[in-house]
Amino acid sequence: MKKILLTLCLVPAYCLLSSAQETFPVNGTRENNKLYYAFTNATIFTDYQTRIDSATLLIKEGKVEAAGKGIKIPEGAVVNDLKGKFIYPSLVDIYTSYGLPEAKKENAGPGPQMESKTKGAYAWNQSLKPEFNAAFVFSVDTKKAEELRKNGFGSVLTLQQDGIARGTSAFVSLGEGKDNKLLLKEKAAACYSFKKGNSTQDYPSSLMGSIALLRQTYFDAQWYAQNTTAEKNLSLQSWNELQSLPQIFDTDDFLSALRADKVGDEFGKQYILKGSGTEYRRMDEIKATNASFILPLNFPDPYDVEDPYDALIVNLDDLKHWEMAPTNLSAFEKNKIPFAITADGLKDLSKFWKNMRKAIEYGLSETEALKAITYSPAKLIGVENTVGSLKAGLKANFIITSTNLFDKKNIILENWVDGVSYKVNSLEVQDIRGTYDITIGGSVTYKLKIEGEERKPSLKVFYADTVPTSGDISVDKKMVSLSFPVEKGKTDLIRMSGVIEGKQLSGRCQLPAGTWTDWKAIYKDAFVEKVKKDSTDNKPKEIGKLVYPFTAFGWSEQPKQETVLIKNATVWTNESSGKMANTDVLIENGKIAVIGKNISGTENAKVIDGTGKHLTAGIIDEHSHIAISKGVNEGAQASSSEVSIGDVVNSEDINIYRQLAGGVVASQLLHGSANPIGGQSALIKLRWGLAPEKMKIENADGFIKFALGENVKQSNWGDDRTVRFPQTRMGVEQVYYDAFIRAKEYEKLFSANDKTLSKLAPRRDLELDALVEILNKKRFITCHSYVQSEINMLMHVADSMGFKVNTFTHILEGYKVADKMKAHGVGASTFSDWWAYKYEVVDAIPYNATILNEQGVTVAINSDDAEMARRLNQEAAKSVKYGGMSEEDALKMVTLNPAKLLHLDNRMGSIKEGKDADVVLWSDNPLSVYARAEKTFVDGICYYDADKDLQLRDEVRKERARLIQKMIAAKKGGEQTKKPEKKEEKLYHCDTMENENDL
Amino acid sequence: MVGLIKINNMNMKKIVILLTFSLSHLLTSHAQTPAKPQQRQIVLLNGTAHIGNGTVIEKSAIGFENGELLFVSDAKDYTRQLGDEVIDITGKQVYPGFIAPSTTLGLVEIEAARATRDFEDVGYINPHVRSEISYNTDSKIIPTIRTNGVLLAQVAPRGGLISGTSSVFTLDGWNWEDAVYKTDDGIFVNWPARYSAGGWWGEPEPMKKNEEYEKRIVALQKFFADAKAYSQNGQSELDIRMEAMKGIFSGEKRLFINATLAKDIIEAVYFAKKFAVPHLVIVGAKDASLVTDVLKNNNVAVVLDRVHDLPSSPDSDIDLPFKTPKILQDAGVLYCLSYMGGMETAGMRNLPFTAGTAVAYGLTKEQALSAITLNTAKILGIDATAGTLEGGKDATLFVSSGDALDMRTNNVEMAFINGKKLDLDNHQKQLYRKFRNKYTAK
Repeated sequence: MKKILLTLCLVPAYCLLSSAQETFPVNGTRENNKLYYAFTNATIFTDYQTRIDSATLLIKEGKVEAAGKGIKIPEGAVVNDLKGKFIYPSLVDIYTSYGLPEAKKENAGPGPQMESKTKGAYAWNQSLKPEFNAAFVFSVDTKKAEELRKNGFGSVLTLQQDGIARGTSAFVSLGEGKDNKLLLKEKAAACYSFKKGNSTQDYPSSLMGSIALLRQTYFDAQWYAQNTTAEKNLSLQSWNELQSLPQIFDTDDFLSALRADKVGDEFGKQYILKGSGTEYRRMDEIKATNASFILPLNFPDPYDVEDPYDALIVNLDDLKHWEMAPTNLSAFEKNKIPFAITADGLKDLSKFWKNMRKAIEYGLSETEALKAITYSPAKLIGVENTVGSLKAGLKANFIITSTNLFDKKNIILENWVDGVSYKVNSLEVQDIRGTYDITIGGSVTYKLKIEGEERKPSLKVFYADTVPTSGDISVDKKMVSLSFPVEKGKTDLIRMSGVIEGKQLSGRCQLPAGTWTDWKAIYKDAFVEKVKKDSTDNKPKEIGKLVYPFTAFGWSEQPKQETVLIKNATVWTNESSGKMANTDVLIENGKIAVIGKNISGTENAKVIDGTGKHLTAGIIDEHSHIAISKGVNEGAQASSSEVSIGDVVNSEDINIYRQLAGGVVASQLLHGSANPIGGQSALIKLRWGLAPEKMKIENADGFIKFALGENVKQSNWGDDRTVRFPQTRMGVEQVYYDAFIRAKEYEKLFSANDKTLSKLAPRRDLELDALVEILNKKRFITCHSYVQSEINMLMHVADSMGFKVNTFTHILEGYKVADKMKAHGVGASTFSDWWAYKYEVVDAIPYNATILNEQGVTVAINSDDAEMARRLNQEAAKSVKYGGMSEEDALKMVTLNPAKLLHLDNRMGSIKEGKDADVVLWSDNPLSVYARAEKTFVDGICYYDADKDLQLRDEVRKERARLIQKMIAAKKGGEQTKKPEKKEEKLYHCDTMENENDL
Repeated sequence: MVGLIKINNMNMKKIVILLTFSLSHLLTSHAQTPAKPQQRQIVLLNGTAHIGNGTVIEKSAIGFENGELLFVSDAKDYTRQLGDEVIDITGKQVYPGFIAPSTTLGLVEIEAARATRDFEDVGYINPHVRSEISYNTDSKIIPTIRTNGVLLAQVAPRGGLISGTSSVFTLDGWNWEDAVYKTDDGIFVNWPARYSAGGWWGEPEPMKKNEEYEKRIVALQKFFADAKAYSQNGQSELDIRMEAMKGIFSGEKRLFINATLAKDIIEAVYFAKKFAVPHLVIVGAKDASLVTDVLKNNNVAVVLDRVHDLPSSPDSDIDLPFKTPKILQDAGVLYCLSYMGGMETAGMRNLPFTAGTAVAYGLTKEQALSAITLNTAKILGIDATAGTLEGGKDATLFVSSGDALDMRTNNVEMAFINGKKLDLDNHQKQLYRKFRNKYTAK
């Protein structure tokens, strides 16, 4: 039996023996330690879910031999009695940059940079670096390793956090010694993000550009895999090589986590998502990703909010995030979403355990916490048979702790990495707390009270009375040092040094005058720990409600579809029945069910008295840039048809709600006007509270932004922006011809007849895909335009290519070519009265809409502006003033006509039975400046109600006040705070454009 | 032509003038010819007079001569005098000319074209730069502004800590000397920004405390202290920057401090107090609703930021900018509306509609009217002659066929500046006619 056990134990040892050979010479004498080490009587967590009390851990040559109860300790083993102590597997962090040099940063030159600065046969884009191999540049960082070990970490995944395709990461040990021994696994995982990092190349200059680049690279790599003769591309080669690895994707907010997952789904990849700590805001969608997560513990500090004015600049979502960030991990646990925890994002690693305990206070179970720092990270990158638990054959990576790992009082004593011990705190501790009689020089006697913490005692001296004087005390192994005033009230100190023997302290001391004498302290009474009731510990945490979206005016309860009867209103139908006085409208199942007088038999309906009020179709903004994350222009190249606003819809934008209050129900979220061929748009309904994908209008046609004139010629972008073609209107025309001719050739590659052209499967080109859709009338152009020459030109381009321009937007000189536009069949989406802001609008006139309307062109009035969008009714009314348009026609310009331009008029834009119940109840004639939207319905759901709005304001005020009180209390309780800072709302216009290196 | 001969002289003359005008409009495009001085007494009869001070006369008689309002009364009280040019405006609305404070109108023609920008000079402390001499009476924008009822404007430099000296203009004139209404009425100061933005446009980082803030405050303090001493004959040599500041301390000029946040406003108020500035006006004042007591108790007036704006915080009431006028009104703060901000010159014709919005959010129509007439005149120190339809004041007024605060009905049919009847044509109307004719002629 003994033999068998021994044999069993030896099996892994053989492996060790063979691996013990080294290629490198040793300066000095070879270390040849093959001893057993046994750790006995400890509480051992052999893995996150297995706790064994009074157990033994046996290790040898860096590996676990056995762990559990009843383990026979081989003779000659080094035995450590760990009675009362705990052993856990060392922590594993799979999101670090440990031991890697900083990513190389090129100097951004002046002016645009169209091409990559990376030399060699690599990817066209500088932010794609799949060839990067962290293992090639990894080297031990002893200082950082020590810091990590002190906090319990034993091994980490290290990656370079730079670029969109970041290459491969390495799995490394946090021990010390030769890098050859510390590098455990190269190419342990492939890493990605949406941030271009140090790349100085202009493209991508927006989040949607990053997403498109990622997509295109998947296609490029697929193509390259079949065809390596056309070009050598080392980046694509590497890309293909690392596809079978775990794929880790860094995201910086919960919306981007959803976006990354969506891209992954398109290419059959399930990313491991590195989260931001904000995922709790959309847990349903997060769960639906089916992804595993790597989650940070970077909980924010409270703000200094004592001053009520200063506090105003902190937004509610930031106040709430302070309170809710610690709930993020427990939300994952509740939703059974697998996750690992990382220390990434903590400015100060010492906060790791503090925040971990906080997460536990906020509902994370200790078992799940332990799993997330040991087993799960190992499992996610496929090293669970190396680290993360303490089973025979696994690495001897473990920590010895003074008590339960998650206990506030716990101290990490030792961290063993690869079987090597790294001391963190001394294992042995002398508890000298208690009451003593101290004798100095054999005569003077005081009473001493040593109290405080076991490892950090404090000293009180009682002279003749009962009021103590504080002194200093420190313990170092067997030695103790004390100092205190020689007499009560004096500042002169006696300084003593002594030895601890059992409970007795004795030694020599120096009196204030410098004379030496003996001292001795006799133990009298035991120290009695005052059990301090920690008032915060057991109280249930008071947490504000989650609101959707996570901002002021978000819903704690999403409004529901109702059957609504609006009675006796003036109904602007936008249909042949015109404006109907004293009319009822019944809304049912999200549709307009009945329009008529005195509708009855609807006892289930909620009745709204519309007397004196006006009901119109909801406003549709044909040209909007709200609700977009991180960039509205991908303007680095003349054509960017591969990008889509649909990838970056931001459901959390307060402007959605503000615009509902202005009667807006739907918007086309357009790419900007930085280049002749812009990006694809998103058509959304303003379904405030729903996630981005649910805001998109179902089965809507695809649209794309084109642009002409000064913006695309970069006329007003500064003197260094003269590099990109085109710089003239002449060049703009040729960009279009070139693009569409390329698109036609590209389409041929895919057509069945022309398969013979090439034996190779053609490369999918997302830019040309979009253009082919235009040629095939499956995607429609909204073109930013001002002067008549260019308007005319684009219609010619379209005619010659066999398609029609759908809409000219802005189109401020449309009135000059209204007849030509009518003939082409293009619509107009214009401003009411903007002009004179740049040279190409010197001939813009507020009569534009009226003339176009008179000439039979479908005209809409759009906003291109988050503020104006909430007064589009007023903007439409200006055509009554300028040119005398009829009121009904004017209203159509912000309702039915934009619906037509967006191909949605079969379901939106008028009050007609069967159409979507997207309607607005106004207090007055909707074209009057005095009118206010009182209720705005989308799909029969009341998303804005003026009365409900007053309640929401009150909730915002109360919630802010509650959080501010709580923050001040936290500060008083000793929490570190930070100065208030304001998040600036980013409002986009067409020409919001900067080339940026920071994305 | 035969038919024309029968028409009396007066009308003939008009037709000829009209023909000449439209011809010239077709051939060239330029700002409209300034009006000739008023020849004889004009009486606007039977219109609804909105006085500007809160009162309305339903059927009114408004008489003016030599550019001055003689009487504004009930139509019943008017007896026609020989030589009066009586214009029947039954059913129409009469208003004092709207006044736009704190604008760069005339200092910039095309915002994107650097060569046409004349409102901001180099340096932080430029009290001596004066808008008066840069005001371009031939701007094509100006005629489009007055056709909506805005007839007076305070034109001010921008930028830096002390932007420069403003002047008030009538929106008609051959040159700036001709158009100026009050020379060097005020000095414009920008209260230093407490916070500065970080990050970039795609990923703005939170605004942090502006590191330059203290430095700027010190610079401002020092310059004001120096200028104050200078104004008290601290030196005999001329310093043109400090010379420009003299009026601030004597009360001849008003001090306009642009401040946004509550604390900025409070600090600006106490700053002006410290230097015993007689007339302080806070400009912008987005947070004014939070500090009404400070404003009221210190008699500080406000030129309010554009009403058609978004709240500065997502947590703010969504209609906060719309209802701020009502809050100031109720608090008894003297305030007026401005159109500062993006596209402020071309967009300034919408100033009356921002007043309309303030009505939708609480003001009465006549209160809103005061916010762009009488209040503005008081704040600019021109209320003795402008801002209301009252006898003795300048005859700067207009007639609209409907409610001029509502874009649906604002339709200015005639307008007078100092009694001079304006040509209400403009560049845009000319283009309208030209191209409308293109289609109707077909």
